[in-house]
Amino acid sequence: MADALHTLAAAELGRRLAAGALTSRALCGALLARYQAVNDKVGAFTHLDQADVLAQADASDARRQAGQGRGPLEGIPVAIKDNIAVKGQPLTCSSKMLAPLVSPYDSHVAERLRAAGAILYGRLNMDEFAMGSSTENSAIRKTLNPWDLARIPGGSSGGSAAALASGLVPLALGSDTGGSIRQPASHCGVVGLKPTYGLISRFGLVAFASSLDQIGPMARSVEDCELLLNALASADARDMTCFGPSDRTLTPGGDAQKLRIGIPKGFLGKGVAPEVAAAVKAAVEFYRAQGCAISEVELPSADLAVPTYYVVATAEASSNLGRYDGVRYGHRSATAGTPFEMMTASRSEGFGPEVKRRILLGTFVLSAGYADAYYVRALRARAKIRAEYLAALAGVDVLLTPTVPTPAFKVGEKASDPLQLYLEDIFTIPANLAGLPAISVPCGKSGHLPVGFHLVGAPLSEAKLLAAGRLFETAHGYAHQQPAL
Amino acid sequence: MAVGFDIDHLAKLARLSLTAEEKALYSSQLNQILGHFQALADADLPATIDDARVVDEAALRSDEPGPVLGAEAVTRIAPASRDGQISVPRVVDDEA
Amino acid sequence: MSNVPSDWEVVIGLEVHVQLHTRAKVFASSPWGFGQEPNEQVDPVVLGLPGTLPVVNREAVEKSILFGLVVGASVPERCAWDRKNYFYPDNPKNYQLTQKDFPVVVGGQVEIELPGASRNVMGEHKFIRIHHAHLEEDVGKLSHAGSGSLVDYNRAGVPLLEIVTEPDLRSAAEAEAFLRSLVAMLTQAGVADCDMEKGQLRCDCNVSVRRRGAEKLGTRTETKNLNSISSVRDTVIYETARQIRELEAGRAITQETRGWNAELARGYVLRDKEDAHDYRYFPDPDIPTLRLSRETVARLAKQVPENLYDRQRRYVEKLGLPYTAASVLVNDRALAEWFEAAVAAHPANPSGIANLVANDLLRDLAASAGAAGAFDEAAPAPVSLASCPIKPAQLAGLVKLTDDGVISKQQAKEVFAEMFKTGQDAAAIVDAKGLRQNSDTGELEKIVQEVIADPAVAKSIAEYRAGNEKAINALKGPIMKRTQGKANPGLIDQLLRKALG
Repeated sequence: MADALHTLAAAELGRRLAAGALTSRALCGALLARYQAVNDKVGAFTHLDQADVLAQADASDARRQAGQGRGPLEGIPVAIKDNIAVKGQPLTCSSKMLAPLVSPYDSHVAERLRAAGAILYGRLNMDEFAMGSSTENSAIRKTLNPWDLARIPGGSSGGSAAALASGLVPLALGSDTGGSIRQPASHCGVVGLKPTYGLISRFGLVAFASSLDQIGPMARSVEDCELLLNALASADARDMTCFGPSDRTLTPGGDAQKLRIGIPKGFLGKGVAPEVAAAVKAAVEFYRAQGCAISEVELPSADLAVPTYYVVATAEASSNLGRYDGVRYGHRSATAGTPFEMMTASRSEGFGPEVKRRILLGTFVLSAGYADAYYVRALRARAKIRAEYLAALAGVDVLLTPTVPTPAFKVGEKASDPLQLYLEDIFTIPANLAGLPAISVPCGKSGHLPVGFHLVGAPLSEAKLLAAGRLFETAHGYAHQQPAL
Repeated sequence: MAVGFDIDHLAKLARLSLTAEEKALYSSQLNQILGHFQALADADLPATIDDARVVDEAALRSDEPGPVLGAEAVTRIAPASRDGQISVPRVVDDEA
Repeated sequence: MSNVPSDWEVVIGLEVHVQLHTRAKVFASSPWGFGQEPNEQVDPVVLGLPGTLPVVNREAVEKSILFGLVVGASVPERCAWDRKNYFYPDNPKNYQLTQKDFPVVVGGQVEIELPGASRNVMGEHKFIRIHHAHLEEDVGKLSHAGSGSLVDYNRAGVPLLEIVTEPDLRSAAEAEAFLRSLVAMLTQAGVADCDMEKGQLRCDCNVSVRRRGAEKLGTRTETKNLNSISSVRDTVIYETARQIRELEAGRAITQETRGWNAELARGYVLRDKEDAHDYRYFPDPDIPTLRLSRETVARLAKQVPENLYDRQRRYVEKLGLPYTAASVLVNDRALAEWFEAAVAAHPANPSGIANLVANDLLRDLAASAGAAGAFDEAAPAPVSLASCPIKPAQLAGLVKLTDDGVISKQQAKEVFAEMFKTGQDAAAIVDAKGLRQNSDTGELEKIVQEVIADPAVAKSIAEYRAGNEKAINALKGPIMKRTQGKANPGLIDQLLRKALG
């Protein structure tokens, strides 16, 4: 046990726990000490009940002692983004609106993690209601990039990525609506997977844009990401859009060296920082050298993705966030008056600027006289984008691009320009629009800042993405690099 | 795409009250964003939306009553309550 | 009732919201039912807690399809749900899940019967077209308490089928007849209980008027949330008169949403079109489009009961029932089926059975059941046949005894009362009470001979022979007296005529 426990991968921790070389209590104790030392610097967690964590750890150790261990995640802490319900824990979505709420129920993924013996380890910061790409929109605290504390960690799952990169926890859950797992993973040098839409139940995930949202695993290595994915993926009768895995989804996808990799035409062109382009090109060359077939593919409607996404996502969000009105739970304004004045005041006080901006935009694109020009056209554009991706993926196994065009920017740098910020997601959005699985894998640095590449596959082809990621990871070892804090 | 949104109307529909500064800021930002959406208006799009999201009756729930929260749990998380009910300011007849 | 001037025509369309007969809510597994303590029938999904998702209740879908089959609608290949966005404290998500573009029921028609000139005369029949019916969720309930309001979400999420008619109704009487017919169909198929007192059926009523012969429809108003058939009728009468008065005074009708104050019997304006909501409908992303299998439709088709008026026609035309009895029987499916079971046991005399069921049995059941429901003040109290002490075959046995001349019709009433009290067979009661008629021809012939030989009746005999038919009755009294009233009256009549002929 020479290595500091906080640097180890979940798979290794699992081996030590299984061998009796480590207890969950010792592991959690070490991570809680790390939390005391580091969390105030990076601001990854918004809530951590230390007594509860240790009680869970003791229960896990007792199960293992009794020979009733529940599998590879037994005793391993998994931190959870604060938009995923865990019974008895806060569910704030990093919003003032839900600051008073304690969830009275468990999400499906929380149930799965409990059933797997994992330790439900604290709440992770995020952009308010998952709206943002920098975690600057949190109403609770700032989260900073562990590789450069003057920079953003990405978002909206910025707390998840920062917690992993700074060794606060080995595994984390994020959610991804347009890149919210993959973009912060890229910025923080960790691995993030957005599963096929419907692979993991959304029951208990606070909706931002229901047709795009997916919960996904985040970890410091592809192998760990796979470990967590296997625990989460299952059908759930409480989510009509969840179908769970098919036979091949999680089955190791054969020989990664025989994968056919498509490079979308023009994707390494304008707007991509030279060092990002260089790192991604090096990854392509790595795969070519491994024997993968590399070809260029056409995605003619790529330019439609961002506008389509912002119409669909904000339309759904404007409706999804209608329920936050101060009547049944959450923040209620002290303003007296009629119920409608109370609701309006509660919403105006409870939501931050980005959330208000998106609610207004979404309300507009659905409103009488404009819905056909915006919302309905966006649905049609979405169908077109989906068809183009599926056609491209009929000829290749995965599509490879950068995850984000540029490395992590400085805190406050893009705060006044929402449109610039929306363009951060240009490579990640199509996978959400088309419901496809996608992964971000670290592939180098731009200066001192991590860079990731992005793979998109056909529906339920997670195993191929993971196999491709592991091939790269094994050869390069970025997973073992951690920032000095 | 000619954009002629009425920020006051939108705020009313969304139940948000905006200061004059917020109205000015959001109006200009929304205009900028909607300008970027011009690509949508210009695009050649399929006439029909291929609905990939179709389920059959197996996805339906059986008519079996399940557990409830109970009034105590409902009112515990409510900002204000009385006698097992959630209280709100008095509703004037069809104020909506 | 309504006095619409003959040069005006009223055009009415109804939107009927019916709570479907299910155990769990439509998008959540929370149970529901009337009369529970506030907020006891609420789960995280009903309350719209963050992260919760709807899952459609199969039974609610099947009840909706069944309704479609009952009214002869087409069941589409697919249906889908949309969100209707509006803020209101009783609306937990501030959007209501409903079906805008792809409802579960499209088309169909409801046959109605207007009141006849009198109770015994069948009125005109007409078909009212159904535009569509969609499956949605109910909202919670607001009540006022002092300076505030209180919200109870027990009703939120209860399955509601909204049945929308074409504007085919032309009078308050037609609207009333439509609702009666609709309620009978819904309850008879087990789709809904339609108890208006429990708020299980509510109506929105669209009314416009136009000059008779005009093609263009007048501007309509919509009166919302009517919770009894009489309120619908009164609203139509009120609104028709008001609109005609306005138009005749040269004023225009405003397209507006109105409310109805049943206590004051007066309508009032809720909001005009300028304030119309912008509901920002869009397809609910949480509920995928639902494919409706033909197997399910075929299975449900077998559950469709015989149409109310098809049954009525069959009773009148095939079974020879008088209209009055037929119309009473068909209103209640269980009663009609009870009646038919009795007819099956004694097919010779359906009218005799119908007479006992529609009069005696219903009267006694109602007396033992209590008051009528508030839903339809004019309708008879719903009766429970489950606890009926008489079984169909037993009633058939009673009618057969009468038909066979074992007891008289008068005696049958007495036996019926005893059967209702004790549940015994008619024959057992007749025997126990010694009610069996004397139909022994030989014995009665002897008595007839003795009576007509009595000089006291000679005058009556002479009169009868002179052609006064009624004079024969004077001879029957003494015969009855000698047989302690048990002589079969028909047989006596026959024997007397033979003896005197």
